[in-house]
Amino acid sequence: MSVTGIAPHPRPQPNPRWATPRRPRVGVVKFSSCDGCQLTLLDMEDELLAIAERFDIVEFAEATSNRSHGPFDVLFVEGSVSTDEQAEEIVQLRRQATTLVAIGACATSGGIQALRNLGDDDAFRNSVYPRPEWIAALPTSKPVSDYVAVDAELYGCPISGRQLLELLTSLTVGRRPQLPDEAVCAECKRLGNTCVLVAGGESCLGPVTRTGCGALCPSFDRGCYGCFGPREAANTVSLANWFGEQGKGGSEVAREFAKFNVGAPAFRKIVERER
Amino acid sequence: MVAANPAGDAGETYFLRRELVNELIQALATDDREVIGPRVEDGTIRLGPVSSAVDLPRGVGLDNAPGKARLVERGDDRLFDQPVGPDSWKRWTFPPRVTQAVWTDGDGTPAIERRLENPPRQITKKAFLGVRACEIAALRVHDRVLAQGPTPDRDYAARRRDNLIVAVECAVAGGTCFCASMGTGPEVRDGFDLALSEIDDGFVVRVGTPAGAAVLAGLPVNPATDAQFEHAQASAARVREQMGVTLPTDGLPERLIAAADSPRWAEIAERCIACTNCTLVCPTCFCTSVGQRSDLDGQAASSERTWDSCFTLDFARVAGGNFRTRVSDRYRQWLTHKFGTWTTQFGSSGCVGCGRCITWCPVGIDVRDELMAVAPPPEAAVVARPMIEALPVVAPLPPVRHEQHGTPPVKTTVVDTHRETHDTVTLRLRTDYQPLINGKPGQFVMPSLPAGASPAISISRFHNDGFSLTVRAAGASTARICALERGETLTVRGPMGRGWPVEQALGRDVMVITGGIGLAPLRPLLDWLIANRDHIARIQLSYGARTPGDRLYTAELDTLLLSGVIDIAQTVDRAGPEWLGRVGVVTQVIDRIMCSCDKTTAFICGPERMMQATVDVLHERGVPDERIWVTLERHMDCGVGLCGHCQLGRFFVCKDGPVFSLAELGPAFGIEGL
Repeated sequence: MSVTGIAPHPRPQPNPRWATPRRPRVGVVKFSSCDGCQLTLLDMEDELLAIAERFDIVEFAEATSNRSHGPFDVLFVEGSVSTDEQAEEIVQLRRQATTLVAIGACATSGGIQALRNLGDDDAFRNSVYPRPEWIAALPTSKPVSDYVAVDAELYGCPISGRQLLELLTSLTVGRRPQLPDEAVCAECKRLGNTCVLVAGGESCLGPVTRTGCGALCPSFDRGCYGCFGPREAANTVSLANWFGEQGKGGSEVAREFAKFNVGAPAFRKIVERER
Repeated sequence: MVAANPAGDAGETYFLRRELVNELIQALATDDREVIGPRVEDGTIRLGPVSSAVDLPRGVGLDNAPGKARLVERGDDRLFDQPVGPDSWKRWTFPPRVTQAVWTDGDGTPAIERRLENPPRQITKKAFLGVRACEIAALRVHDRVLAQGPTPDRDYAARRRDNLIVAVECAVAGGTCFCASMGTGPEVRDGFDLALSEIDDGFVVRVGTPAGAAVLAGLPVNPATDAQFEHAQASAARVREQMGVTLPTDGLPERLIAAADSPRWAEIAERCIACTNCTLVCPTCFCTSVGQRSDLDGQAASSERTWDSCFTLDFARVAGGNFRTRVSDRYRQWLTHKFGTWTTQFGSSGCVGCGRCITWCPVGIDVRDELMAVAPPPEAAVVARPMIEALPVVAPLPPVRHEQHGTPPVKTTVVDTHRETHDTVTLRLRTDYQPLINGKPGQFVMPSLPAGASPAISISRFHNDGFSLTVRAAGASTARICALERGETLTVRGPMGRGWPVEQALGRDVMVITGGIGLAPLRPLLDWLIANRDHIARIQLSYGARTPGDRLYTAELDTLLLSGVIDIAQTVDRAGPEWLGRVGVVTQVIDRIMCSCDKTTAFICGPERMMQATVDVLHERGVPDERIWVTLERHMDCGVGLCGHCQLGRFFVCKDGPVFSLAELGPAFGIEGL
């Protein structure tokens, strides 16, 4: 993925006069996920009416009983691919979508459920379920981009409403979506947050995590959990080494990275090294 | 007890008892001035509004080390015994977010017809209490960068006007302080209204300006005794000794620039996280980006300037590429600019030795160590650099006049459109704004559409009633510009940059070498050459394109070719049977051109690799560097040398270029990732 999360391959630019004469058809679908990212869209109370005016929401099970199997001008996909059916369905959906946007940590890195990618899937299944043979899941939980081409990704657990709105706005007015791929630190410094890592010695994934949340946790004096996943060139090795030098044990360091984006290679690498 | 002479001379020295600091703060706050000073906040020392002495960090120290800062409770009464915290005064003089321009004209007007205007600014006057010597130096650096160039930053100038500077001379050196090495401190020499030196029971106060004297006038102060004055001096001397000189700076700019190929850059990149912290806590880093704000329809639109950093990937991005993808490139850019090319650009180092970048690096990278490793001094001898020649005190800035802004937004009207290729359109724009009509070949404009970005686009022809732009739909904004129709409005700022040095063509052979869309910025040059044909020996245009269909201005080129006014050699990379011309790259064409090469001036525009290959051929043929002119592409957000994106060595490509001779660029041309 490129800097903005927009796939680098050439594709038609949104037409400035695109919304006329018809409203773009928008779908929202989900795979393995908690629905929190879809709720982010529903929570945007101030903008929801304007969005519904501008876009024809033809598929959004969380919000409307209208159903559609496409085609879609824009299709938002929440959740990770973790069953055979989902692996087939995403390919069908891709064919129906002009622009496919993966939303949230599950759809962009596999989500918290990607913890199973690092362990023994059968052992998990046997210890959790009384009838494990009834469970038909893939041994891994993977991002949508592992199965089909993705035009844009919105990160976060959950996604940021502000970024979702920016993506929609960029489509309607015709501009490159402003979804900067910079560290949470940049936002902390602009806001005037004191660095919890330098001043408090806390573990914070901010330096290697993509901004987008508005530096939410450090604004409340807590280290970043890495909800928005590793940013470009995320030097997790250097940060993990520093945590180690500050006296944190390997398992403690591994736990920092083994969260919502454990499936992202830059985070997973540290978990595998330290645990 | 006597009151200070209200007209107290600069240089007068007084003693202020510590319990009178409250009165000092009240005196600073007169005339609705907001007093900003150090406070204990969020577990460190921050700068913020100070309304009484209670807000100041009494008896609190700050233990700074690479990657660590810890508050220390000393329990004494001293108020200013801390090294600097993460904030610098730029948070007030150069805030992290500023609304830059707003599309106005009310709700009824369609967005595209609106005017782009700077919003009125409501800026309260400020008194800065507790400004250290390094920070006075940093304010001066910012003044030079932001307010004293050809196009001053008006927002900065407004925020710097009427600042009262109450300096404090450091009585302790922090673990990451190195102002003594950079020649900016620890002694406070000048650039203040009042300067405080904290001693046992109060402050020795030096008066720097009449404004400072006026603040002191109402306070019950005594002239300082010799003992008090000496006490203060001894304290400053102790700090200098405590800090030592940890970074030999003699010849550092030259050493750094020569170290562009050092393997150390890649080693640093293994530790550097490119998190941007060093640049955002730096009191002199000034790079910004402009973002767009709008509602869903793009109707209510404005642009916002935010702090940015040369450590982000997006920073050096251009349509279709990026000049600094590797973290090692970004670290080299930052360090080489800060300690090296800054000196040539602005007459001083960009570093003031405050140590914030070391303390607030989340993995504790120490720039002093990196500088010593990447650009070691020739001998181990560590020589203290003398205090740099006091830079002229920055005079109060005059009110910024409209003309001084240089490039106000100008509304133009599309009077004609012509499709050149499948993705490229020429727009003829009408305006009566004379600087645009009388611009120079090679200059560019930055068009803005509401809620969209402002790409830099070269002017491709000048007309009596306006100018033309040839635009390739490379991204969303250029696609919108290409889609404009006759009668619609386009707001532009410009002309910007330095154009082609046309006079260099007089009496010489001229080679114009370009490819694809690169012909656009050269067309006004060709127009000029043809208008002055009698004074030029020979004009040779070499034009390459990917396919015949990717060539611009084909009808015009055919007419020119037939007229025989100039020689034209065209070549394409790929062609079908309908193409009867040459196939191959443009360097093969210039290889065969007849020229008196030592008397030739060459003008080149194209991708950097194509230009490098072309330059190699021209070198072989004996064209000297002074007469090889190239135009460079870089990311540009402001176009006037303020945002920092287009930095290349000691140049801003936007205002110093985009046209450069190879002799000017020197080694800056052709280094990957620079």
